[in-house]
Order: sequence, then C-alpha cells, then structure tokens
Amino acid sequence: MNSSFLRISIWVYLAIFFAYLLGPLVIMSITAFNSSSFPRISPWECLTFQWFTELFHDQRILNGIKNSLIIGMGTVVLSVAMGLAGALMLTQIWPKLRATYYTIIIAPILIPGVVLGISTLVFWDRINRMLGLGADSVLSNGVFLTVIGQSTFIASYCMLVLVARLQRYDTALTEAALDLGATHAQAFRKILLPFMRPAIASAAVLAFLASFENYNTTTFTFGEYPTLTIELAQKVRYGITPAISALAFIIVALTVFFALLNEAKLRRQELVAAARRNATVQDLGGKIRLPGFFAGNMAAVLLVVFAVATITVVGTATVYSPDQCIANVKEQKRLEAERRIQELRKQREEQRKQREAQEAEQGGATQSAPKPSNNSGFGGVFAPGALGGGTDAEPEAEEPPKGNGGFGNVFDPNSLSGDQ
Amino acid sequence: MPSFLKEFFNRNGTGMGLTILGLVLFWTIGLIILPQLSMLDFSFRPNLPPPEIGGPKDVYTLENYKYLIYGPEGGSQDYNTVDLRVFFRTLVAAVCVTIFNLILCYPIAYYLGQSKGSHIRIFAIMLIIPYWINEILRAFALRIIFGETGVLNTLFTGLGIWDTPFDFIRNDIALYAGLGYAYILLMIFPIYNVIESLDRNQIEAARDLGAPWWRIHWRVVIPYAKPGISSGCTMVFMLSAGALAAPQILGGPSSLWFTQLIYQQFNDNNDWPQGAAYAVVLLVTCILFVLAMMRLFKVNMGDIGK
Repeated sequence: MNSSFLRISIWVYLAIFFAYLLGPLVIMSITAFNSSSFPRISPWECLTFQWFTELFHDQRILNGIKNSLIIGMGTVVLSVAMGLAGALMLTQIWPKLRATYYTIIIAPILIPGVVLGISTLVFWDRINRMLGLGADSVLSNGVFLTVIGQSTFIASYCMLVLVARLQRYDTALTEAALDLGATHAQAFRKILLPFMRPAIASAAVLAFLASFENYNTTTFTFGEYPTLTIELAQKVRYGITPAISALAFIIVALTVFFALLNEAKLRRQELVAAARRNATVQDLGGKIRLPGFFAGNMAAVLLVVFAVATITVVGTATVYSPDQCIANVKEQKRLEAERRIQELRKQREEQRKQREAQEAEQGGATQSAPKPSNNSGFGGVFAPGALGGGTDAEPEAEEPPKGNGGFGNVFDPNSLSGDQ
Repeated sequence: MPSFLKEFFNRNGTGMGLTILGLVLFWTIGLIILPQLSMLDFSFRPNLPPPEIGGPKDVYTLENYKYLIYGPEGGSQDYNTVDLRVFFRTLVAAVCVTIFNLILCYPIAYYLGQSKGSHIRIFAIMLIIPYWINEILRAFALRIIFGETGVLNTLFTGLGIWDTPFDFIRNDIALYAGLGYAYILLMIFPIYNVIESLDRNQIEAARDLGAPWWRIHWRVVIPYAKPGISSGCTMVFMLSAGALAAPQILGGPSSLWFTQLIYQQFNDNNDWPQGAAYAVVLLVTCILFVLAMMRLFKVNMGDIGK
C-alpha cells in the first residue's frame, strides 16, 4: 500500500479520534462563557462570567464539594492501606492460594458499581440491625457507607499500582535491616515505605480522583451526605444551566494544569538525567550546565502559555462587564418576539379570511355541481382535489400560504425588521 | 498454626503481620465476599417492613426472581415483557458499545504502541485528561452536543443538510456515543500495553515475506494482542452494562437501562429485595457472558490481569 496515503489516513483518523475525545469538553467549556441561559454555543449572545458567580453562590454545590473532600480523604486512607496490605500479601501468599486470592481482590474492578453500592448498603444495614443499633448509628451513616463502598474497588486499583513497584523491591534490604537489629515495624517504616513512596503517592492521587468522580456506588450509599457528583447528577437530570459548564471548565482547567505540570517535571528530570549521562567526568566535576526549564520541554512551554491565559481570563473577568451587551441581546429578543407576534397575528387574519372565502366557495359548491378544483379561481393555494373531498378541505386550509396569498411581500419577515 | 502462617509471621513480625492480615481479611471478607453473599441472601427474601424482619414471615422465596420473568401476580401478561426487554436491550447494547470501542481503539492503540517519539507522550496526556473529568460532566458535555438545539443540530440544519432537528436523544445515539466515550481509555490501555511489547521485527518479517497489511494484523498483531483485547473488552462490557450515569442523563425518556430499573426498585419503589434480585441477575448474567466469550475465543482467565 502507498505509504504516504497510509500516513495521511492515520493522521485523519487521529484527528477524528481526538475530536471525539476532546471536542465535547472544549464545547462544554465554551458554553460556560455564553450568556444564554441554556448551555449552547450558537447563537452566541454575550461573553459573560455570571455563571461562575452563580456557581460560587450555590450552597448545594459547595456543600457537595465539602462532602466529596471528606469522603475522598477517608477513601484514600482506607484504600491505600488495604491496597498496600493486599499487595504485600500477594507477594508472600502460599502459592496454591495465590490465583484464588488474586481473583478475589481483582474482582471488585469488574463488578458493576451499582452492585457494589447495593451489596454494601444491604450488608451494613443487616450488621446494624444485628447489633441492635438505631437508624442514626455510625454504621448507617452516609459518609461511612460511601467510604466503605468506594474503598471496596478503589483498593483494587491501588493494589495494582503498588504491586507493580513492590515487585522491584529487593527483600534483602529488609533482611539486612532486621539483621542489624531493627524491629519489623522499623524496617517497614524506614526501608519499605520510602521505597514505595512514589507508588503510594500515585495510588493516593488515583484513589482520590476515583472517589471524587464516582457515581454508581455512591448513589446508593450517600444517605444524608450528597457528594459533588450526586449533586451534579441531580442538577443535570432536572434542567441544565451553564453554571454546570462553568464548574466543568474549572475542573478541565485544573486537570490540564496538573497534567502539564507533572509532564513538565518528568520531562525535566529526564533531560537532566540525559545531560548527566552524556557529561564527562570533568563536567560533573563542577561546571555541568543543566538544561533550563524550557529547553526541549514542550510541556513546560505549554504550561506557561496556559498559566498566562488563565491569568488573562481572570483579569478580564474582574474588570469586564457584559451588562450592556446583555441588555442589547434582551432588547433584540424583545423585538424578535414582538415581530413574531405580529407575524402570527397577520397569519391568523389571513387564515380567517381564507376560511371565510373557502366556506363561501363550499357553499357555492354544494349548490352547483362539483367542479374540478383547478377552476375554483384560488390558483395553487389548495392542493388539487382538496375541495372535491369536502371535509378534507378544512385541515388543508390551516397551512399558512407562503407568499402567494395575494398580499405581496407585506408579510415577509424582513420587511418588518428593517423598520426597527 | 499452618506452616505458611508461621512463616508469614516470622517474615513480617507479629505486629506488622497482624496488621497486614487484618486489613486483607477486612477487605476480602468484610468488603468483597460477605456483602455479595448478603445481597444474594437478601434477594431471596420478601419485602417486609423493618419490624417483621426475622419474624415468621421472613422465609426464603423465589418471588423476586419470578417477578422479573412473569411480572406481577395476576398481571395481564404472561411474561414481564417490559423488564425483560430492557434487560436484553441492555446486554445487546453493551455488546455493541464494546465492539464499537474495539474498532475505534485498536488502530490508536496500535499506533501508540508501535511509534516512538515525544508526541506520543502528549497523545497519552490527551487521552488521560478526559478520563479525569467527572463522569457526570462528560455525559453533560455530550448532552450539550446532541441536544435538540445542540451543536450538531445547529450545524446540520445551518448547513441545510437536515430541515428539522434530528432527535439524537430519543434515538439513543447520544446514549451509545456517551457510553463509548466513557470507556475509551479502558479499551486503549490494555491493548496498548500488549502491543508495546510486540517485537517490531515480527511485523517486518511478515512484511518481507509479502504479507499485505491486513494479513499482518490478522495473523501477527491480533493473536499477539489477544490478552489485551480480551481484558479491554471485558472491562468495557461489564462497565457499560453496569453504567448508570450515562443512561440517566443521555437516555431517551422511553428507553431504560437495566441499572435504572434497579435504581427505581431501590429509590422509588423502596423494594430492596427486588432490587437486590435484579442486581444479582445482572451480575451473574454478565459474568456468565464474559466466561462464555472467553471460552469461545480461547482466552485464559489468567491472561486478563496482565
């Protein structure tokens, strides 16, 4: 196959793919700045920041964020601890049990979130009843149930992240520490934990994000403590406003920022490592020039561009006032509505006249012998044969005549709007 | 004490060993196994008000499962056609979403896995960013696009391709696009991981021997990537059959997803045992289906986790 054709088709495919992936997010972010009260891009009305103001005054959203943070922290602690224990167990378990054990701890990833939520709810409700506690005990508390329910499967993610690093751990290090007189707890804290720190950090971030965006499990367990996701779902289901787009824009911006920051940092570390590797011993002796933050680091450049853009936008938002523009749009809408009403009124008038004329015609038709409709003198207003049916003629007349009603261009919408 | 437990405590010390063992047991038994069994048990019980639970009326019954198949007792129809239709529609649609995602993601995963360069890293970030955005917000974004006055309808009516707005939501196109959108990453990464480790020489050898590009994929790349493909498909199928947010936000008013029925049983009808029975049916059917597919395509369970 022609290789240039293949190359082009790959790029086209990539473009379509990323348009599908990123397009919705971009469009949603843009709608946050349109003053139209329904989130949309076109017609574009005014650039506005009012939806952000509205968002920051929404008590339910703020409360949801608070609950999400509390639940997220609980989930991070519980699932990283369980994930680490699970990973340690996996490296040491009796080989015959290993496959079964692995299936059990990996299963929560595949079990639908709905099922996890229901089973958590049902199980702890039963425990609660067996212990004879009331409906307001800790075990039926929304925060507790949500943390437990989410940790069930988030711990599996953490375990996968942690076990990947644990496999590279040299157990001789722990043994050496024990030989030198450390207790097991000390060896764990001073040797294993520092080695695992990067993996623990990424597991914690992953756990927090997974907890923050979880819906399926939380929707059965949240009780009196709706998280941000639950509040969003309620809002989206019962009427959507651009305030949600504003929230989405903030989340997208934060995500992009941290992704770029992380990438820039990684890239810099790589460049530094490369420079060290290529340097001679003399260079390392003191005058090695590490690559700057920007050199050969696209992510860093993007990061700075992004930061500047954010500052500009926020700066504009504080001084910009879209009141004049919104007033204009409102005025335009009023005129438009007025024009529509007038148009409608004229149309009704016309229909009424037509109906009268038609009734007169029908009256004539019943008296005289039925004639072919072409001869009725109405030209092409009615479909041929419509009159022959008698009763069929009524619905046909509902259709407004378009331009050929004999009124010239008086009712052309443009002629009216031109006056105003 | 069994020897492996003794060894375990020798290696980790009593305190640490007990902590690890306690956490693992709490997770596996307290959070995974017992709740599932409890749900299974609950699904065989009648729906009773709290004071009567544990009383003489609290006996095992198949009533909740019968309800799914035959509908309410004394109902006008022989079978519960509404719920059964929703159930099969959910499964069929989940399969379609999975196939769609596989077709969409395989070329990308192959491209990312086989090419080198710094732009691959940027692509990877672009892939991950949508996945960090809240599930609800992703569905909301698609609703803006597919709505009656949404971007697509404005565009197409503006260009004069359609006269009247096309109702994407009522025709479930928005729902399928949303489900596919939500799980792209779960399809790409397993396939990418496997293809990345494929030796390029194998492809070049096939090319030197005169194989056309489609045969290289059919005979070399796809057999090699089978574990990745099967774990991607398993995840996407299970998650889209169990999805709740996307059908609630993007589904048409007349079409339900099976998880929505479960949700209704729990929150609107307050019939927990019935909801639990539906959840059990969903879980068991999905697992059986995945196992059957794995047998059909000769994939081992052990390959999935790789």
